[in-house]
Amino acid sequence: MRGMVGVFHELDSTVDTIEELKHKGLGKLTAYSPTPRHELEHAIDPPESPVRKFTLFGALAGVTFGYWLSIWGSMYWPLVVGGKAIASWLPYTVFGFEVMVMVGALSTVFGMFYLAGIPRLTETVGYDVRFSHGHYGVWCECAPDKLAEVEQVMRRHGAVEVRGER
Amino acid sequence: MATLVQPADEPRRPNIATADVQLPAVKDYEQVDNEILAILKPTKAWFFGLMAAIACLGLGAFSWAYQIHQGLGVAGYNPPVMWGVYIITFVFWVGIGHAGTLISAILYLFRAGFRTTIYRAAEAMTVFAVMTAGLFPIIHIGRPWKFFWLIPYPNWRLLWPNFKSPLVWDVFAITTYLTISTTFLFVGLIPDIAVLRDREKNPVRKQILAFLSFGWRNSEREWRHFARAYLFLAAFSTPLVLSVHSVVSFDFAMGIVPGWHTTIFPPYFVAGAIFSGFAMVWTIIIPMRRWFNLKHYVTLNHLDASAKMVLFTSMVVGLAYMIEFFIAWYGGIKYEQDYFWNRVFGQWWWAAWIMLTCNMILPLSLFSQKLRRNPTWLWILSIFINIGMWFERFVIVVPSLSHDVEPWQWSSYVPTWVDYGMIIGSFGWFFMWFLLFVKQLPIMALAEIKEIIPPRMKKGHGHHHGGH
Repeated sequence: MRGMVGVFHELDSTVDTIEELKHKGLGKLTAYSPTPRHELEHAIDPPESPVRKFTLFGALAGVTFGYWLSIWGSMYWPLVVGGKAIASWLPYTVFGFEVMVMVGALSTVFGMFYLAGIPRLTETVGYDVRFSHGHYGVWCECAPDKLAEVEQVMRRHGAVEVRGER
Repeated sequence: MATLVQPADEPRRPNIATADVQLPAVKDYEQVDNEILAILKPTKAWFFGLMAAIACLGLGAFSWAYQIHQGLGVAGYNPPVMWGVYIITFVFWVGIGHAGTLISAILYLFRAGFRTTIYRAAEAMTVFAVMTAGLFPIIHIGRPWKFFWLIPYPNWRLLWPNFKSPLVWDVFAITTYLTISTTFLFVGLIPDIAVLRDREKNPVRKQILAFLSFGWRNSEREWRHFARAYLFLAAFSTPLVLSVHSVVSFDFAMGIVPGWHTTIFPPYFVAGAIFSGFAMVWTIIIPMRRWFNLKHYVTLNHLDASAKMVLFTSMVVGLAYMIEFFIAWYGGIKYEQDYFWNRVFGQWWWAAWIMLTCNMILPLSLFSQKLRRNPTWLWILSIFINIGMWFERFVIVVPSLSHDVEPWQWSSYVPTWVDYGMIIGSFGWFFMWFLLFVKQLPIMALAEIKEIIPPRMKKGHGHHHGGH
């Protein structure tokens, strides 16, 4: 992994840099910002997050398990009351719902971690501590012969610091 | 934040938000980090507060130890009143725990801007309140070491709990709520812990913060999946908020006891929970904004907007009280009628009138905009509401059991010092966790506050795009 990281003071400079680097096809881009910014997302134009698939799978697994546990438990250890069903789906909706929420939410978080590539052991390559504070950043992973051009683009758009990393 | 409109007669001040500028006195991202992270420095007042909370907790722990040694009889239970302070306090704390997830999830889905600066404190409050609430059923069963029998798990006795029992529903509801509230709080904290990590100079603390932030780097990829996951967590938490107190209300509504056996309980409990939760948010946030100099983050508009929520939920709760009386009269069941008469004009009149005064009458003051924008009044009112909501649960639990269908069973209930010790202990437990949280992690969401500040632009003024 080799590339250039640019630190920017302004949001629009960052967006302009990303757009030009992308237009020229100079490398793989990562944008950094202290807070989510739609401008950066539009500039990078990534595919939609598939977190929802994890949510759906978790929720379906949870609701199934919640109903199954209560119905199976009632059948296995029946509490017989005259005129009452041994397994009654209506009150068991509490279990179906609660377990659906629990497993669905936890699998959503798992999906977020998996897709975002965290937990991560190191954050030093292509990262600057200013990105969590008040600055924006662009990391361009590229071939060695493109480094100079990437640096030039970043500086032209007003990067306060540009450095090569590997 | 379309709801925040500056009244014409009010001059523009740093703590007055307007429709276009939510935090007029907050200029850039660095200011947010510097001002909010400055809170983390421990002070003497904080230390004494923590010691006071631990002392209260010690009293609670002593009371519990004494009860375990002597038996549940020391807690003032006498047939037929076998539910008392513990169940009342359990419902009270579950109710307090409602506002956090309401503010962080439901108001998030509704894009209510006034949540941004208060939701982190409210979320932490939720987690600690549910942790407190969860102790009380365990304390109440008398033999707390048998608590795990309520959890369905394969065991050598081949026993399973009664899945039709509301007590088992409670176990699932409270466990899910605690898990999801904690997850919601922690996921929201990850980017803010990364801010702390990047500013930390102490290598050991930096390592711990790096571990807790999972190596978060603020990349567009991380934010994209984070925003999606946060949205789905909010979507899950919304019905969860409504379900938890509904399930708690089933503990009563499923029993054939005068005053309990009513279908109005779930919405009545949920509205009451939101009402009391917001009051506790005020109890905590209003001193914090003063002591930590955060008046330009929690502006008068934020308090005004939350006061409208309190006023609305107060009226819902008041309507529920009135409907209870009406149905008792209209239903024509003499036991119900006698019970409600006894509640308001008989044996328990004092408790019922504390409830009605604190929850129905005093909040009507919030029709005045002047009082909605008066933090001192809101704080005083929040204390009255906290007291009123505790007494609401007292009025639900004790009068019904002491004045049941059979007159020969009628009795009374007097809490003992063990009960009072446990109530004080619960406040100590709650505030101990909260005070520890305040000095370890950001009490306001740095990333979300930065989101509502116009970003720095080279080509002129920044413009605001909605939340993530």
